[in-house]
Amino acid sequence: MTDGSGGETGVASEPRTWGRWFGRPGRSLTRRLIWLASAWIVLALVLTGWALTNQYQESSLRRLGDVLANTIDQVVLATNAGADGRLTVGEVKDDRTLSPLQGKYWAVAEPGPDGRLRILVRSPSLAGESLTIPDELPARLAAARGAIISYNDPDGLRPGGEGPLGVPLRVAASMKQLPGRAEPVVFLAGIDRSNIDRDTQQFATFTWTALLILGLGLVIAVFLQVQIGLRPLYALRNEIADVRMGRASRIARSYPLEIQPLAEQVNRLLDHNQETVERQRTHVGNLAHALKTPLSVMLAEAGQQKGPLPDIVRRQTEVMKAQVDHHLRRARAAARAQMLGEITPIEPVLDEMAVMLERVFEEKGVVIDWRSPENLAFRGERQDLQELLGNLLENACKWARRRVRVSAGSTGLGQMIVVVEDDGPGLPEDQREAALQRGSRMDETTPGSGLGLSIVVELTRAYGGRVSLSDSELGGLKAVLELPALEA
Amino acid sequence: MRVLLVEDDADLSRQLKGALSDAGYAVDHAADGEEAHFLGDTEPYDVIVLDLGLPKIDGVSVLERWRREGKTTPVLILTARGAWSDKVSGFDAGADDYLTKPFHTEELLARLRALLRRSAGIASSTLSCGGLRLDPRAARASVNGEPLRLTSLEYRLLHYLMMHQGRVISRTELVEHLYDQDFDRDSNTIEVFVGRLRKKIGPDRIETVRGLGYRLTPLPGESDDT
Repeated sequence: MTDGSGGETGVASEPRTWGRWFGRPGRSLTRRLIWLASAWIVLALVLTGWALTNQYQESSLRRLGDVLANTIDQVVLATNAGADGRLTVGEVKDDRTLSPLQGKYWAVAEPGPDGRLRILVRSPSLAGESLTIPDELPARLAAARGAIISYNDPDGLRPGGEGPLGVPLRVAASMKQLPGRAEPVVFLAGIDRSNIDRDTQQFATFTWTALLILGLGLVIAVFLQVQIGLRPLYALRNEIADVRMGRASRIARSYPLEIQPLAEQVNRLLDHNQETVERQRTHVGNLAHALKTPLSVMLAEAGQQKGPLPDIVRRQTEVMKAQVDHHLRRARAAARAQMLGEITPIEPVLDEMAVMLERVFEEKGVVIDWRSPENLAFRGERQDLQELLGNLLENACKWARRRVRVSAGSTGLGQMIVVVEDDGPGLPEDQREAALQRGSRMDETTPGSGLGLSIVVELTRAYGGRVSLSDSELGGLKAVLELPALEA
Repeated sequence: MRVLLVEDDADLSRQLKGALSDAGYAVDHAADGEEAHFLGDTEPYDVIVLDLGLPKIDGVSVLERWRREGKTTPVLILTARGAWSDKVSGFDAGADDYLTKPFHTEELLARLRALLRRSAGIASSTLSCGGLRLDPRAARASVNGEPLRLTSLEYRLLHYLMMHQGRVISRTELVEHLYDQDFDRDSNTIEVFVGRLRKKIGPDRIETVRGLGYRLTPLPGESDDT
């Protein structure tokens, strides 16, 4: 109910589906839990992925840096400054620097008067090409003499972009002061970076794929966890619905620690409800007892005397009796409306009623032939079913010559039909309506009150059922009762 | 005829006493449950009128005690609580008839006459089969001393089976004796009633003989002390 109206009263500008799944997550526990967990999972995984790939790249570059620093050291050791300031570079024992384009390069340069670096000597592997030197490099080298500054050379060897010359390089540079030379010298070393780049790329692809799968897995796990975790709540909801529908009288299952108190409170509420009803019924019964004995006295006293006064007393006593009965029944019906979840199998009630009424009408020799499916149950209280069947059967026995036939059956639609027939004189069609009215008597000469049928009508109505009267093939009256039922 | 009237309301007691005396009964009166139980236990009454709402011990308990002690005197209960559940519990306790207050005195007298007619001639030869006992004249049956509550059709079936115990009786024969001539005969009727009887007397006393019918036998180990 709240879900249906929630879409309407939510933020009006939001489209419905959006509002349903993304808006106001507070309306659904499931959504709230799933969204919260998912957001946290995504955030954590993105941070993890970023940190991992970053760390991998950093360590790869650090390794390259070590190699380059080593090359620079070798070149520095092999370099001599002549007396005239000319630099000569001896043999650098690194095979990859000896023949052209082997992936490892070095160069020795000096800062020119224009602030740019002028390359003096280069490794054979450079094959006359140059290493890219960013414009701001000389200034940075000058500012941090002796330190190694590394950078990526994206274009590769000049003129870049073509063939093996296009490979990306990692370049390290350091400005050093050589003995016997006033001007500082810049040593540069470069190495092919493409393997590292590829590895980093592969690592990133792998990492992000794995994290994506992990993330999806976690979200699915959270979803399942929430569904399974909330299952007891759904079960509880179903059980409460069963109680309301009368399929159960209490919450019977045991629930997890967190929900069990709720289930117990519901049961306590049901108990309380039942107690209230019982109390009301007891009061009503007490009132009945208190009033009926005095009424009996008045009736008997008036019956023993002749004259207008006893007549009036007797008539008025009858009216009082009818009124008391009627209002007590109303009170009982009101109490009944609050009752939930009662189930009464019909067979035992029919059996006890038949045994009892055959005993009562033993002199007449009435035979009650009753049939009912064993699994058929009335969705209501035993007392009420006794009241319904007792009155109908007693009425039938009263009028029957010998036979009363009762058959109960399910209609399959949560309803049952009870048919009570007798082989008595029956009832003319125009009197049937009156027979169902309150307080009317079908025949003053038949002992007992004529209220039986009106009680049946009121009770049946309270249960949302129906009573109808027609002719029986046995010759007498046929009463058909429709009541809420349960077929187990 | 001696009648015990158990009623706590003074006015109603006086009226009923008068009416019963006028009708020719010798009336004793008890105003509470204890006195009623004592009188019913010690005096040989022909019939008892018992109000259910009594001081000290309630009517149903008094009745239960009498029945437990083997008293078979017919009892008519008077109840202000007209509910059928009260009537049923009265019958379960052993009542023979009920009357709901307020009632007409003539009706009470008519009911008492009927009760007395019914109880006349009880205690005759009984049929037995193991723990089963059946008294044809009182139309009462019991199993291991416990009274059985049978409907008249169930009683008729049991009666016929007991008269022919040990013999296999066909469904056709049973249905003919169960119903009067003009009653409709449903093919599965007998199964229904045998099923109900088994629920009340125990599942193994009536044996189904496939294709032939039913046979009533004492349980193994039960001595048939007819």
